[in-house]
Amino acid sequence: MTELNTRRMRHVPDEELHPYLDQALSRSQCVEIETHLAQCAHCRDRRDTIAALRDRTTALLGQLTPRNLIIPPPFEQLAERLSRRPVTPLWQIRLKRAGLWAAGVMAAVGTGWIGRSILDPHRDQPLAAQNETAPLASAVELGSAAAPTTATPVTVVPTDAAETPLPLPETTPRFSPSTSRSQGFRLSNASNRTRIIPAPMLQLASALTPMPEASRDVAPSARLEGSAPFGPLWQQVQWEDALEKAGSGLPYIEGMLVIGVLLRPGEGGERPTSLVAQQDPSGELVLSIEGPLAKVMEIVKSQGAPEIHASEWTRTPPDYVPSASGATRRINRVLTVTGRLSTDSLNALARLATIR
Amino acid sequence: MEDLERLYKTHYAAVVRFLYRKIWDADRAEDLAQEVFIRAMAHQPDKPRAWIFAVAANLARDEARAAIRRRKHLVLLKDDPVPLSTPELSAEESVEHDERWAQVTGALAALTERDREVLLLWDAGLSYPEIAAQTGLAVGAVGTTLARARKRLTEAYDRTEYQADAARS
Repeated sequence: MTELNTRRMRHVPDEELHPYLDQALSRSQCVEIETHLAQCAHCRDRRDTIAALRDRTTALLGQLTPRNLIIPPPFEQLAERLSRRPVTPLWQIRLKRAGLWAAGVMAAVGTGWIGRSILDPHRDQPLAAQNETAPLASAVELGSAAAPTTATPVTVVPTDAAETPLPLPETTPRFSPSTSRSQGFRLSNASNRTRIIPAPMLQLASALTPMPEASRDVAPSARLEGSAPFGPLWQQVQWEDALEKAGSGLPYIEGMLVIGVLLRPGEGGERPTSLVAQQDPSGELVLSIEGPLAKVMEIVKSQGAPEIHASEWTRTPPDYVPSASGATRRINRVLTVTGRLSTDSLNALARLATIR
Repeated sequence: MEDLERLYKTHYAAVVRFLYRKIWDADRAEDLAQEVFIRAMAHQPDKPRAWIFAVAANLARDEARAAIRRRKHLVLLKDDPVPLSTPELSAEESVEHDERWAQVTGALAALTERDREVLLLWDAGLSYPEIAAQTGLAVGAVGTTLARARKRLTEAYDRTEYQADAARS
């Protein structure tokens, strides 16, 4: 009886099995399909096949994701960007559109007039003579006589031209799901585990310049003292002050002693560039530098000593600053860890770095 | 605003992915995703989820036009998107990953624009009625379109994989 019913029943078409598996059908439709599936082996096979197809599609599309870890900037930052935008009254928008439309019409008319004047063999004849032979054409020309003077070429500059991201070198590491587990910019309570000492008036410049061999045995904190400041723009700050001033970007490596913090104020709405000096268990000084790409590059280049290496760069949340044209410009920021350790060790440390 | 903030936290990554699969520029996709949410804050739409993806699709379309003007990112298979290797992948794994990536983008490019749009919206988590509202399809036609798109995507992918295997051997 059941087999007979099954044979007589129409099979569930694939186009219904897809929404059934996507849970896009009503309860009654689902019950109807499930009742049929319970009796029909053919449709059960089709359901399994389509379920596999659906899963495979998801898996294929899953490969098309950016390698960078997607980190949403704070919602408040978006609200702030919205508040910075000038509010344009509706009538101004309409007026601007009408102006553009009029300019387009004028440009088209002007182009036509110029083309016509080039192609028209009688263009050098006196107007009166033209009127006699082609009164309609002359009327058009008279009506558009002012067009060429006003139909200046309209140059449309893409508003996002200023937002073109800064090029990153090919060595820039990209996030991947596997790295995100270990090096995500999570806010953690790691400060409990990190020994942070109030930074005295240390001068970190020596960490950025070649050290003579003889000074290798000196404790890092002692090395920092007595050398010239890195630059007049840099401020040496206490950890707590640095956290406040750095906004959302003070890098440090968990579990290492913080020796000192230097901040360089951002320009034009950028967040500051920060440099956190820490001491690794072997006594070596390690610097975590986070800031706009150009500035970090500048600092890394300024080190110049062969024994000082830098880790690969890691992208950090970018800055969005207003440009002169009123559009928002994106400033890419990166984090790197430098020191007298091997590049591999520094890369490993960079993965442990957290943005506090 | 709280609803929008919650939506931002839960859907930001989906919007970035949706945009990325249309413009193939991860940085730009993030910029546009933020622009979408800023606009949502200004407009306070009634159905924010559907609205956000509709605006994202429009921005992606504008971006594609702008890209053509700039003669950049002209076709799906061109451009930088991923080829930078992650440090965790070996050279061989990296090559395989890039090949696979190119095959999937090629398969996606083989779909019609409507099939691709419906598939990407479904993958972004939109419901059938939301997809229908955005694409102008009847709700009943969404299932049919999805069925066709899934089938064509996998077929196109298998075809490119077969060709790649044949080229290697």
